[in-house]
Amino acid sequence: MSPVRALLRRELRQLGRSRGALLSSIGFPALMLVVIPIPQLLGIRATAQRMPEGVPLPPGLASSRPEDLFVLLLYPLFVTIAGLMVPSIAATYAVVSERERRTLELLIALPVRLADILRAKLLALLLLGATTTFPLLAITTTAMLIVGLATPFQVALLFGVLAAALTAATCLAFVLTLLARDFRTANNLNGVLVLPMLVMTFAVLSLVPGDARLVVHAVVLLALGGAALLAGLRWISFERYLE
Amino acid sequence: MSVACATFAPTVDAIWANGVSKRYRTGTLALDGVSFAIPEGTRACLLGPNGAGKSTLIRLLEGALRPTAGEVFLLGERADDPGYTAARRRTGIVPQGPGMYRDVTAREHLELARTLYGRGDVDATLDAFGLREHADKVLEALSGGFRRRLVLATALLAEPDVLLLDEPTVGLDPVAQHDVRALLRTAMAGRTALLCTHDLREAEELSEDVVILRGGRVLVHEPLATLRARARPRIRLAAADGERLAGALRARGLEPAADGDGLLVPGDAQRDAPALLRALLAGGVDVYECRPVAPTLEQLFLEAVRA
Repeated sequence: MSPVRALLRRELRQLGRSRGALLSSIGFPALMLVVIPIPQLLGIRATAQRMPEGVPLPPGLASSRPEDLFVLLLYPLFVTIAGLMVPSIAATYAVVSERERRTLELLIALPVRLADILRAKLLALLLLGATTTFPLLAITTTAMLIVGLATPFQVALLFGVLAAALTAATCLAFVLTLLARDFRTANNLNGVLVLPMLVMTFAVLSLVPGDARLVVHAVVLLALGGAALLAGLRWISFERYLE
Repeated sequence: MSVACATFAPTVDAIWANGVSKRYRTGTLALDGVSFAIPEGTRACLLGPNGAGKSTLIRLLEGALRPTAGEVFLLGERADDPGYTAARRRTGIVPQGPGMYRDVTAREHLELARTLYGRGDVDATLDAFGLREHADKVLEALSGGFRRRLVLATALLAEPDVLLLDEPTVGLDPVAQHDVRALLRTAMAGRTALLCTHDLREAEELSEDVVILRGGRVLVHEPLATLRARARPRIRLAAADGERLAGALRARGLEPAADGDGLLVPGDAQRDAPALLRALLAGGVDVYECRPVAPTLEQLFLEAVRA
């Protein structure tokens, strides 16, 4: 068995045993992806709604019907928040706590490279995020399809946005891993790293018209995540994780 | 699984540091052009005051840190070499005071080690280190002595050729220290070992070569026997009236040093003691003890570090 695979199995087992990591990883996306959006979705169908008239709106808002705004702006925002937050929160449990408690010394003493340890941890975050958020997204998008609020193409794009957000957040978690020495710093850094991405999310979703906004949004998320990963690899030494 | 080790032909340097320097991000220069080699089958201790660079050296050997300059070889492989992982699989490492998981049991940790080493018998190791009844406890629930046993068991699970031990008994109570030292004695026999310690008695008991670091540089690297042979021999004297003894010694041009209830003076016992003793007794000093003192590692270490 490869070292990364063995370490990944161990990481997943530990995450599964961490009540805090599990509650955060299931509870928060459940709120964002199902509990909050479903009543709104039903509300849109129950009452006729209008966009305000005579108010100058960005292209992404001006050209949309209220139903479209839910599918193409409001719900993608929730999807992005869930996708960005789950790996970041789990990272504070899986990665930062290991550093804080000095348990990493036990792993480093085994015949394994530090890069493999980090790779396994980040893969575990990605897998945990995907396992908890994709089924929840499936519930709400199925409801959207049933009530005729979204097309199958739009649903596929929403899944793409979630995958991109999870990937970007995992890349951010890598930077977080190398920079944060304790929970407090990790939480502060989470805010610093995730907030600009959320602002960017709202900007893209409200400025780009039509279904294309979801594609552009996913691409931008992946680009930002990739940039964070490259910056981490280029300027932050893995040795920081041991300091 | 036995704690004892296989033997091999002592031909290759198992550990080799070649002009190694390490400067941390903070600017601290932990190692400054360190060079030494430990041949296969040799047990060496790495001594030095706090901040001498001992743990940094262990970290470089385990591949967790990269040298700023120079090279570190473990079983002939650098950390960047393709064969390094294989070298690491032949090396057991006992880290200094690692944190303990609260969600991983002793057995699970050993099973992970077996997977990564690619060999080892978990049950036999648990038995050999007296960990059987603690196998299903989480690591954090183990006492200090058993935690250290587990770390040692993990390092020895795959019966490695090389052992890197970073202060393996530090922080343990005397009973646990005694137990762990007994395990170390058996485990280190016949293996290449680098023991990083502050406990000079432990170093003397468990190793035959000495590397002394100070300020990131190698101060001394010699077999303990050579170091002893080079050290000045001393004679221990004790008398009913210590003050009078000290005065008589000073009168003969000797500079006595306190040693418990007696005094130490430089000199070869066979050559110098009879005349000295005769003179002291003739001078009315009631000497009741006069014996040669072999230099301890502590004395050698202090002499080297203070030089």
